[in-house]
Amino acid sequence: MRSPRIPILKLHNCLLVSIQWELDDKTALQFQEDLLNKIHVTSANGVVIDLTSIDFIDSFIAKVLGDVIDMSKLMGAKVVITGIQPAVAITLIELGIGLNDVLTAIDLEKGLEKLQQELGE
Amino acid sequence: MNSVILNYIQENKDQIFNEWIESLKENGDERVVKVVSDQVFNSTSYEFIDVIIASVKNSTEEFTSRLSDFSEKVVRLGWPLSFVTKALNIFGKIVFQKMQGDGLVNNENQMDTVFEFDRWMNPMVNEMVNMYSSTWERTVSMQKIALQELSAPLIPVFDNITVMPLVGTIDTERAKQIMENLLQGTVKHRSEVVLIDITGVPVVDTMVAHHIIQAADAVRLVGAKCMIVGIRPEIAQTIVNLGIDLNQITTKNTLKKGVEAALEITKRKIVKVEEAE
Amino acid sequence: MENQSCVKIINEWDIVAARQLGRNVAKDLGFGTVDQARITTAISELARNIYLYAGQGQVCIEKIYDGGKAGLQILAADSGPGISDLRQVMEDGYSTSGGLGAGLPGVKRLMDEFVIDSEPGKGTDIKATKWLR
Repeated sequence: MRSPRIPILKLHNCLLVSIQWELDDKTALQFQEDLLNKIHVTSANGVVIDLTSIDFIDSFIAKVLGDVIDMSKLMGAKVVITGIQPAVAITLIELGIGLNDVLTAIDLEKGLEKLQQELGE
Repeated sequence: MNSVILNYIQENKDQIFNEWIESLKENGDERVVKVVSDQVFNSTSYEFIDVIIASVKNSTEEFTSRLSDFSEKVVRLGWPLSFVTKALNIFGKIVFQKMQGDGLVNNENQMDTVFEFDRWMNPMVNEMVNMYSSTWERTVSMQKIALQELSAPLIPVFDNITVMPLVGTIDTERAKQIMENLLQGTVKHRSEVVLIDITGVPVVDTMVAHHIIQAADAVRLVGAKCMIVGIRPEIAQTIVNLGIDLNQITTKNTLKKGVEAALEITKRKIVKVEEAE
Repeated sequence: MENQSCVKIINEWDIVAARQLGRNVAKDLGFGTVDQARITTAISELARNIYLYAGQGQVCIEKIYDGGKAGLQILAADSGPGISDLRQVMEDGYSTSGGLGAGLPGVKRLMDEFVIDSEPGKGTDIKATKWLR
């Protein structure tokens, strides 16, 4: 069984990622690698990851996400996470995963706005 | 069959009734004796005897339905259950003692009569208790729903600014409900800033503070900023004394200041309109 | 649908299968979206623990009824190395795998009831229950 890769789109100096299906471990790790490569190739300085369609995040996926955010930061790209569902937020908090220092926004639109602000444009 | 007992009651109806009422007033709960008028008290007690006598003439089903009607009425009158069971007890005692006095109970049939009494009294007591408890259950579940409904309204006060006033005691169950409402509302209204007003929360202990911090954290995850307002002096004291860390969360002492800060965050302010000349 | 269904955990894909099963049962029982997410997440954590530490094992999802209440019970069992210090693994932030260390204490918080039974060298049994409110 092989799951399709998560598409990463480029928009001006930003990368847009919308995760549309349940993440299994391999897809998550593959995504980490793909995103970092894409940042390297495009020298993007901002990334928006939209999680609107994700209805649960466990500690493994949370760790992969947290890691990819830190790694992107090292490569000079700020990451904004958007569209975390209420149920997902509650489970994450109850699991004890705060995703501190992660930038968030309600939806893609606000996420892009926030990114522009952060990048000082 | 318990017809002996019932026939005896029917024959000595008035006498038993008077003795019963007398005894109830002596032993009765002060709350009941004071609150309930003599008339209601007498008529209700009389009705009870009628219900019992009816069981001699009518079928079991009819008796059961009359008994549950009667129980419902007593529950509606709001008499304490302890009083009603006591009254039933005294009633049984009086009948038994009178039957004994009239020689209907003797050494030979004593045991049988006692069993008979049990078989006769128990269903009535059970029915009463059932009626009370089902009424209470109904009330409790109604109140639970009512509480849930008033649990946590989310009020959009300006574009992108929402207020959630919390009123009353917060337990774990309610805290979870509040958190769900809060997050769903935040997403629905696309709020940028959410103010939780705890002016109406009487006690903020470690547990309540913990729930509030969790809620604020979750709000941050869905992409909004959370502010806690309405921190009274005693609440500030408890929070610091208990060593609860609220540093990650913006707090203000009043809702007014919170709204001002929220407007600032969303790059707006309230200005006075120039008077038209 | 039977009251109990199980998934054998042998590879990473079985983690996905286990949580999908759990989510379906939770939906079927009438749990709300938040509780569905709690249950799915708890199953994912438990299944991953089996995969990471025991190599293989089994996750069973059971519908349970007690008095007037209905609930969902997760049974995670393996015959792996077991846990020598139960108190330590229930502490937040403790991890031997480089993860977030949120697993077991997190599952306990997500569910209503949580029982763990483990013997070093024999394996681990975990029972976690969520009641329908």
